[in-house]
Amino acid sequence: MALGADATRRRLSQTASSWVDRHFRWLLVSPAVVLILALTIFPLGYAIWVAFVTYDFNIPGHAWRGIDNFKEVVTDPNARKAIATTAWLATAAVAIELVIGLLLALAMVRPFRGRRWLIPIFLLPLFMSPVIVGQFWALLLTEPFGPTNWLLGAISGSDVNIRWTTQTPWAYFSILLADAWQWTPFMFVILLAGLSAIPDDLYSAADLDGARPRQAFFFVTLPLLLPVMLVAVAFRVIDAAKIFDVIYVLTKGGPGTDTYTASYYLYEQGFQLFHLGRGTAGAWMFMILLSVVSYWLVRRLLKPVEA
Amino acid sequence: MAAVGARARKPRPSGAERMILGRRLRVEGVLRFAFIGLFLLFLLGPLYWVFVTSIKPVADYQTVPPVWFPDSPTSIHFSAALNDLRGWTGLKNSAIVAGIVTVVSVLVGTAAAYSMARFRTGGKNLAFWVLSQRIMPPIAVVIPIFLIYRELDLIDNRFGLAALYVVFTLPFSIWMMYTYFRQMPVELEEAALVDGCTRWQALWKVAWPLAAPGIVSAAAFAFVFSWTEFLFALVLTSNEAVTVPVVISQFLAFQAAQFGESSALSLCAMVPALFLGFLVQKHLVRGLTLGAVQG
Repeated sequence: MALGADATRRRLSQTASSWVDRHFRWLLVSPAVVLILALTIFPLGYAIWVAFVTYDFNIPGHAWRGIDNFKEVVTDPNARKAIATTAWLATAAVAIELVIGLLLALAMVRPFRGRRWLIPIFLLPLFMSPVIVGQFWALLLTEPFGPTNWLLGAISGSDVNIRWTTQTPWAYFSILLADAWQWTPFMFVILLAGLSAIPDDLYSAADLDGARPRQAFFFVTLPLLLPVMLVAVAFRVIDAAKIFDVIYVLTKGGPGTDTYTASYYLYEQGFQLFHLGRGTAGAWMFMILLSVVSYWLVRRLLKPVEA
Repeated sequence: MAAVGARARKPRPSGAERMILGRRLRVEGVLRFAFIGLFLLFLLGPLYWVFVTSIKPVADYQTVPPVWFPDSPTSIHFSAALNDLRGWTGLKNSAIVAGIVTVVSVLVGTAAAYSMARFRTGGKNLAFWVLSQRIMPPIAVVIPIFLIYRELDLIDNRFGLAALYVVFTLPFSIWMMYTYFRQMPVELEEAALVDGCTRWQALWKVAWPLAAPGIVSAAAFAFVFSWTEFLFALVLTSNEAVTVPVVISQFLAFQAAQFGESSALSLCAMVPALFLGFLVQKHLVRGLTLGAVQG
């Protein structure tokens, strides 16, 4: 009797484990898939409904509005300005970071004493919260506490009175400064890896062919670095287009609405004005726009899968 | 950063050329180190100012010229930020949330990555779908999530926040581990299966330990993401579950801006993330580019 029960239990556990074995691959992916479905795909689907109705904490009920929410965003001059600001701020930030990052990577690629210690220091900002970075720059730039104007005055020998975060061209400058401070190391470390991966033989060959250092740079380094550069730029553009934290801490979108970016505009619509319907409509459009831009990157990332 | 390591590249001039070239190389060398030095200054200057601010007495705040070396450093900003201004609460919540996210994201991510790498589960479509999550702007998700969480009573709840963070770190964990498993020889697991291991044992006892370096960096990335994230935390937490970045963001918003306090808490909040950052340096490039560039 006991033997029988034991055998049954063993058979049961065997069938259980063979069931696990047969469906192993699906069991393994399912938690990830379920989580992503539940917390991004479902909310985004729900957002489609929200985008087509009145969803506003100031207005009771959810009346059907058709595409009116979308229309309101598209015709809102602030929204248009925010998209334009996002586009050029992201472009400018990434361009600055690319140039400085590349120069720094070129300067650091050959070994010298202390290089081993410098690289980790250069990477510090990558592990900081953008809020903290924004707040660093707020401390440096805000009057009368920040030392920036005093420093510039001491260097130039005349009084400098720039309101860095509340005066129009300077507010953009402050945001770019904070973004470049945090993300130039990103470009640097990726380009450094790219540079180090270029085989030495190519330089010897270029040397034998009588190429001068500048020619070697333009005909060997640059073409070979280009794929890596594109990946780094793509990642940065995608993240720079979402910029929010630094704006929130440093300028609050001001002066006026001058430093509103897409994310900041949508945040205000959703969580300060509580026009949630309009906010989701705008968010959907922003997401589609961003997907179009970043489609290339995803295709590029998938290459190792296809290989 | 071993891969970025030493590499000798220099032209070998001969004869008379050497003197001219030698001088040019020296000029280049000076420029090179001047540039490195300038960048270092740009990088460390703000950090120094924050450090000085955190130990400055309030009387030194707005003097002209600014005080670079306070005569009587003080620790009151640290104690005020941590005890009176929710600093400890923020640090504690961030630690709990980041801890949960790290464990769950790595477990779930490793499982999915293993399946995708070994059995090609879902093929290209699943991989594409997972990766596309990386592009999604958080602002597009946070509005509906806010509405849903309100219904479920998950607002200002650490677990609600952690669940969302898990999802946003998953593309990363999955992709990181995926590249690891793809590079790992299948033979070891096959041998284990032949020896009578179940599939589960082959993963748990053979593949998982071999992937340890990848797991460590995936974990560190998940932790750093959760520790530094702001937008979700700002929208979804207020008191009970408030995280460090949110606490810090409020310091400068007050009328009497709390410069010292915000600097002090920033310094405290930087420590764990920096520590983990150093830990994963070797895998940094691969992580930042989701494996597109092998560092």
